Amino acid sequence: MSESTRTVHIVDDDEAIRQSVGFMLRKAGHSVETYASGVQFLKTATREMHGCVLLDVRMPEIDGLEVQARLAEQGIMLPVIMLTGHGDVTLAVRAVKAGAIEFLEKPFERTALLAAIDEALSQAGRNDRGQLAAAEASVRLAALTMRERDVLDGMVLGRPNKLIAFDLSIATRTVEVHRANLMEKLAARSLSDVLRIAFAAGLGEAHPG
Amino acid sequence: MISHARPLSGRIEEDSWRLRKDGSEFLAGVTLTALRDDAGELRGFGKVIRDVTDQKASEAALVRREHHLRSILATVPDAMIVMDECGIVSSFSTTAEQLFGYAKADVIGQNVSMLMPPADRDGHDGNLRAYLQTGVPNNIGNVRVATAQRANGETFPIELAVGEASIGGERIFTGFVRDLTNRHQTARRMKELQSELVHVSRVSAMGTMASTLAHEINQPLTAIAAYLETTRAMIGETEDGLLGEIAEALELAAAQSLRAGTIVRRLRAFVDGGDTGFKAERLDTIVEEATSLGLLGAHEAGVSVTMTIAAGLETVLVDRVQIQQVLVNLIRNAIQSMASSPCKELTIVTAPDRDGWVRVTVADTGTGLSPDIRDRLFEAFATTKEDGMGLGLSICRTIVEAHGGRIWAEAGATSGTAFHFCVPLAGAEDV
Repeated sequence: MSESTRTVHIVDDDEAIRQSVGFMLRKAGHSVETYASGVQFLKTATREMHGCVLLDVRMPEIDGLEVQARLAEQGIMLPVIMLTGHGDVTLAVRAVKAGAIEFLEKPFERTALLAAIDEALSQAGRNDRGQLAAAEASVRLAALTMRERDVLDGMVLGRPNKLIAFDLSIATRTVEVHRANLMEKLAARSLSDVLRIAFAAGLGEAHPG
Repeated sequence: MISHARPLSGRIEEDSWRLRKDGSEFLAGVTLTALRDDAGELRGFGKVIRDVTDQKASEAALVRREHHLRSILATVPDAMIVMDECGIVSSFSTTAEQLFGYAKADVIGQNVSMLMPPADRDGHDGNLRAYLQTGVPNNIGNVRVATAQRANGETFPIELAVGEASIGGERIFTGFVRDLTNRHQTARRMKELQSELVHVSRVSAMGTMASTLAHEINQPLTAIAAYLETTRAMIGETEDGLLGEIAEALELAAAQSLRAGTIVRRLRAFVDGGDTGFKAERLDTIVEEATSLGLLGAHEAGVSVTMTIAAGLETVLVDRVQIQQVLVNLIRNAIQSMASSPCKELTIVTAPDRDGWVRVTVADTGTGLSPDIRDRLFEAFATTKEDGMGLGLSICRTIVEAHGGRIWAEAGATSGTAFHFCVPLAGAEDV
């Protein structure tokens, strides 16, 4: 793999994050470019760019999701890993639906970020992930109970636990238990894993947005 | 002899129009009297004609004025009660009948204290006596709030204005009574809403602080963990005892910084609250209540309000008090931004958004937003107000995001600012 295909583009308005995460990735053997804002990154980004993007969700001017959308509009197919200061299902759903590889909550473990970046870089330039996963995803979904499927449907719609609890007339606590169980059954390590599997199996397509 | 004439069969009086020589007309009061002699034989008729045009006109005017007065009194929303100086009721209006549940006949001739709760009755007689003796008015001429009692024993709040008049040396008192029940209910509802809002704004402020904390603290924690884990990785496997201990310490320190992140996250989840609050609610009611709260005191500021509620989007799945908090914040901001604007128009609109969501817009014709504040608008501690904490809009964002929606601002159509936020519609199964 050439140097340029291993480049990680870090887009974060916080300098300490750019420095520390840049340090981490360089030491792990990646080449790193940093950008202080989504606008700055979009000015530089081209279709010929390789590697992957580490995008902070909450930034001034345009946020991470907007950067992701504009990249797609411009046909720039860089794999995206989203970073967020606080986990939020709705944001995660939008990011993963828009094609993000992973949605990581800060602070994250080094191994989690490196694994996500490896996955992103190995997929860079390929676009067959969804098709490959579809059959596998349906098999995994079949293992869920009715209630777990209900909870998953709510998650796919980007509804917070509280709303899912209301929809199903069960306690928020119970929703959390179902979530933990279904993540285990789907062999998902994170919320973005769950969403990717669900979207691969064709869930949530009737509800755009 | 005419002087001895006496009428046997009464006399005839009538008013009719007569013609003068000059052609003008006048109203004549005509009296026809039969004239008889001593034996009672009819001798003829005496006829007296008086010009009564002016007299009739003033009589008619009097009747008209009385009708007019009565019609005014009948339409005054206040009940009217007239009593004499002993407190005996001499007049009891139709509105009073409706208000108190008594018929006129039940009250006229009775002491007015029958319309008061028993505890107030003696006091009233005492007051009246004291006034008549000392001439120092107690309740005359001003408006006060009192309690009245209906025929069925129910007591209710009233506003009472008493006037005094002296007619033919007889002193009468006229009382106008206004039912305050509705106004009190409205005031109480407002108070309830306000205290709910105060509570929720405290909770939301905590949530916002936690959310801001989570964001602000997680950034340095991320950097710390990244440095620690990376230096740990740089050491790698080592035979050197000292380096091995350093590696272990770095590993433990990294684990602790990740733990701190988990704690902050839990705090936020805790403040966001478990099962509280989400219900199918009517959006129009939420908007109307929040608007009347937000507008308290705004009418003096000359703000005109237009509210447009879209049909078919009535039922939303929200925490009512939290969404009202958002609306009140936006409305207050809007009013403040228009303080020095010549044109003060507040527009509140609900409209369909993407599938399953309804968008609420609060627009003003105020000073608008400067570009440098627009980017930081929803961040905690960003404020344009000298006395502001900069929490209002970040609270709004925390609340709206907790509903799965989003909130944003844009420049108004001609001037000012429009704030939009989305809340989820309740599905058919939620209602």
